[in-house]
Amino acid sequence: MNQLAVVLVFLPVIVSIVIYLSKWRHMNIVAIASQLALTIVAVVYFTHFYGDFESTHIVLGGWDSRIGISLANDELSMSFIFLSLFSWWMVLIYTFRFGHTEHSFLFFLIFLQGVFLGLLQSNDLFNVFVFLELATIIVTILIAYNKKGESFRSALYYLIVNVPAMLVFLTGIILVYFTFGSINIVALTEQFQDVDDTIILRFSYVLMMAGISVKAALFPVFTWLPKAHGVAQSAISALLSGLIVKAGVYLFFRMNFLYEGAGFAYSDFFFMVGVLTAISGVMFALSQKELKQILAFHTISQVGIIMMGVSSADSDMFYGGILHTFNHALFKSLLFLGAGVIIQVYRTKKVGEIRGVFKTMPVVSIFMIVGMLSITGAPFFNGFISKSIIKYGLAEQGWRYWALYVINIGTATSFIKMSQIFFGPKTLSYPLKNMAQNVAMMALAFGCVLLGNFYIPFSEGFFGIRVEEFDLTSFDVLLDYGITVAIGLVFYFTVIARDLKPVRMIRESRISFENANLVFLIYIVALTTYFVFLS
Amino acid sequence: MNNSIRFLRQFVLIALLGTIFVAFTMSMNELQTLYNDFGQQYFFEEGLSDTGSRNLVTAILLDYRLFDSLFEAGILLIAVSGVIWISKHDIEEKNARFMIDKYKTPDLFITFSRLVYPLMLTFGFYVIVNGHLSPGGGFQGGTIVATAILILYYIDPNKETNIGLIVTVEKIIYLLIIVVASISLVTRGTFFTNFFDPSHDADTMAIYLVILNVLIGFKVALGLWTIFTAFLKEGR
Repeated sequence: MNQLAVVLVFLPVIVSIVIYLSKWRHMNIVAIASQLALTIVAVVYFTHFYGDFESTHIVLGGWDSRIGISLANDELSMSFIFLSLFSWWMVLIYTFRFGHTEHSFLFFLIFLQGVFLGLLQSNDLFNVFVFLELATIIVTILIAYNKKGESFRSALYYLIVNVPAMLVFLTGIILVYFTFGSINIVALTEQFQDVDDTIILRFSYVLMMAGISVKAALFPVFTWLPKAHGVAQSAISALLSGLIVKAGVYLFFRMNFLYEGAGFAYSDFFFMVGVLTAISGVMFALSQKELKQILAFHTISQVGIIMMGVSSADSDMFYGGILHTFNHALFKSLLFLGAGVIIQVYRTKKVGEIRGVFKTMPVVSIFMIVGMLSITGAPFFNGFISKSIIKYGLAEQGWRYWALYVINIGTATSFIKMSQIFFGPKTLSYPLKNMAQNVAMMALAFGCVLLGNFYIPFSEGFFGIRVEEFDLTSFDVLLDYGITVAIGLVFYFTVIARDLKPVRMIRESRISFENANLVFLIYIVALTTYFVFLS
Repeated sequence: MNNSIRFLRQFVLIALLGTIFVAFTMSMNELQTLYNDFGQQYFFEEGLSDTGSRNLVTAILLDYRLFDSLFEAGILLIAVSGVIWISKHDIEEKNARFMIDKYKTPDLFITFSRLVYPLMLTFGFYVIVNGHLSPGGGFQGGTIVATAILILYYIDPNKETNIGLIVTVEKIIYLLIIVVASISLVTRGTFFTNFFDPSHDADTMAIYLVILNVLIGFKVALGLWTIFTAFLKEGR
């Protein structure tokens, strides 16, 4: 039964190759069928092991677990698996018509799913590296897929920024292997319990975190994200922003679970990184004028909020962070898919040039508004739940609470700016011609509302977290949201709408590849100083 | 002004790299006392009897960590498809013949290429087939075979290559590799190891290693062949 974990990895890989080789015109049907089969396998696997995730640990080849490669699942990886299955469902449905002719697109897309599911289940550090490397290459190809100059540039930038980060991560793995003679995560977790606090351990932590930070787009090293997510096709942007970025966050959890045994105090540092990530993401988003650029920068800001949550190891905020990972996947995919439809119809990406979306496309507009309410944290939508849990955790911590408040105001302002596309008279006629796109967006919007109202059974069933102790339905929270939006409106009309000079300066600032590398080195040195020299 | 900024940049760069180097050296010094050779000892003592391979690298690649190797071959598979997709607008166009400028390639080079070509091909196959006995294996031997094929383009500049066919064969071989690697589920009840269990002698177990090495060798050779054909066409 536990060999099904391998099927979860290889079913998409094999199906993708069959799709690539086939000449049949309706391969997208095969893709949907295999996705259905994969979902069934995952559900069977989950129900079989629910409550007893210890026994999911398998060593491929039956070797000693310290020698062979092993796969293992727990609540966290299972919930990520279902999140990825859901995300791929949405992308496959959204691109259903497009996939008719594009066999190689489906090939890369579905192969990536197998790789991602492997990454989530892998219990071996080097295996994680291989999957991460493979995912990086596939994502590069998917970003460059429409073969325009801009997408080539972004894809190459993505590749050459991410490859050094991966190599740094690999060096960290090598140091761990030298110290413990094994890279099996479960075995290492035990060994970490009774280990001396050594420099080599701390340095390996630094190197791994540096690599993971680039993958997760944390504060100084996020430069690749807006380029990559801004130019890719909308369905790919949705997948990258909603899910693939979370690979970094997921590894952050995994590595910190591991190093916690050695008594590492990482929460202050990564809380700061989270705050800086969120604030810089919001700042850049406020200055942008293109629909997808705004959304891409908000991915950075939301990852910052997630980091603020998960940096505190064992308080409620941690679960707030995990929940926000899921909520963000839903509403950001929704926003990107909606933006994709709007850009497709209006043939421009500029927020200033798109008007009258509500009259032209009422259905798409409603979905977009659901996404916007969720991301700004409106009550009864999913973003609100996780943000509130983090907020409660920070309630008595002075500036930390206000930092989150400022970030929320910035987010609200940014989406007030974006919401101007809805106003105005009908300018184009948009026949409801692509049902598949609407179905995908409807499912995501439904998910946002569902998680916003029935979050208690969901978080208990998957994570075993009890969240009902938080009072999330009182009048206060509505008032709080109202104040946030009101300040956002004032801020929008006084600063952003006038396009003052500092806003223009932020928008026009560019970072070259050389400087990005320099920033990466500075980040490594900062980590080294904090975790190795000052400890 | 510009110069001083550049100087400052270089200074900062050296300082940063120096700091990382210091931390690295500090941790390397600790390694002398901390070094754990569990893995090394294990492979050294058990490698041959577990896998039947005298070459421990092959033992790790094709048995202990086969799951990794499958995806390392997958990286090449993806890279090939990616290069094809990105470098070309139409796959039919790539099937058209391409030419290396005959007049710029010295005759001496062409003549020697004719001599070297069969030797390289033989050596490549030798490295593939003997991967479990001596240094080498599918990945290395495949690269040598691909280099030999590259020389073929100098011998016959008018050579036509049907890329679509090569890519198809490469993908099918990758599927075959997965199938061969999974046979052990039937014989030993677990994925991705030798389908003979370790109670067999080394020569029997080597059958599996040779099959897998040959498949991987072909896959790598075909993959690299596609990549440089695409580049040659592009560079013309």
